[in-house]
Amino acid sequence: MGGVDVGPTKGKRQTNLEINMIPFIDLLMVTIMFLLITAVWVSFSRMNANAQIPGPPDPTKEIDPQTPEKVLNVLVTDTEFKLVWKQGATVVSESTSERPKAAGTELRYDELATKIETEWKAQSSHQDQADKKQDQAILQVDNRLPFKEVIAVLDAIYHCKRKMVIDNEVKDFPSFNMSFSVR
Amino acid sequence: MSGGGRISIFKQAHHHDPHAHSVQKPGRRLMSKVPLHFVHKRVAGGGARSVNAPLNLVAFIDFLIVTVIFLLMSFSASGEITVDKSISLPTAENVQDVIEAPMVAVDGNQVRVDGSPAGSTRAIEDLGRMQKVDELFDLLKRKRELWRSFHPNKPFPGVCILQVDEGVSALVVKSVFQTAAYAGYPNVSFMVRKRGKSAN
Repeated sequence: MGGVDVGPTKGKRQTNLEINMIPFIDLLMVTIMFLLITAVWVSFSRMNANAQIPGPPDPTKEIDPQTPEKVLNVLVTDTEFKLVWKQGATVVSESTSERPKAAGTELRYDELATKIETEWKAQSSHQDQADKKQDQAILQVDNRLPFKEVIAVLDAIYHCKRKMVIDNEVKDFPSFNMSFSVR
Repeated sequence: MSGGGRISIFKQAHHHDPHAHSVQKPGRRLMSKVPLHFVHKRVAGGGARSVNAPLNLVAFIDFLIVTVIFLLMSFSASGEITVDKSISLPTAENVQDVIEAPMVAVDGNQVRVDGSPAGSTRAIEDLGRMQKVDELFDLLKRKRELWRSFHPNKPFPGVCILQVDEGVSALVVKSVFQTAAYAGYPNVSFMVRKRGKSAN
């Protein structure tokens, strides 16, 4: 057990003390048991999507003509990904990335992620750190596409990050805010 | 005293008292009546090696403390997030932490909101086109109204989390997504299992 040795004693009372460590070990054991029982071993996370698409103009307010923002449309076909930057109805740029065949249990589209990052650097108008607005990405997928593949594309879109100043701190944020295209 | 000597004492006692009973009063026999010299020698420390071995507990206590610190650091006070057993979540790398929000579970058969049934996914697939899931809409709308009644002065965050099975079709996902948006939850998050960062 733990002890405190202060050398040989001259007086009548013993000065070498033994600290009983058993209650301390018991406490540690009980703490470990409690923490083990209450521990959460599987960690889940989330990926954001947004359905806040601008609606029709308010008829009571005067219309202020504004230049529409550039929006990245990600179209998933059987063989490739089409990346189309649109400003209103005008196509600003268009590029493609090969869609690899799904192999293994974990799907990832690294080439698409790199391509999106390159496109964002070339086309985005929200690259300044002080700019708190994110670019909009619209995902167009076939109705039969499994959710697993949707998430893999979403993961590639969110791979592209930029610096943003929030509360005087520079943090990494996803460059895009994603939504689904519906008809 | 040896074993032979003990037997001779027993014989003498029998000789003097012919009525002595062979069954005696119970009590300690070892070390008093059966002396066991070799045990006495060992216990008293007279042998070459002492039987009392000191056990060093310092390493053991260090191990326990490290384990406690690790478990305390990984402890989550917010509790466990339950995911339905029928749902296999996809994995992703670029993710955010889960927040407190209504959980909408979608598997191959039905939709549930915080465990309560809220529509069938089969019906959407059979129809073959996007549609509003009425039960889901009603449940989410009720949840939103309940939140507003408890927090009258706060803006409604409009966040819900979808736990979607990885095999569910995009048609079902889009239908649920759109229904949630109609019910006042435009900020929809998809729950995933976090994957480690890739090397590149």
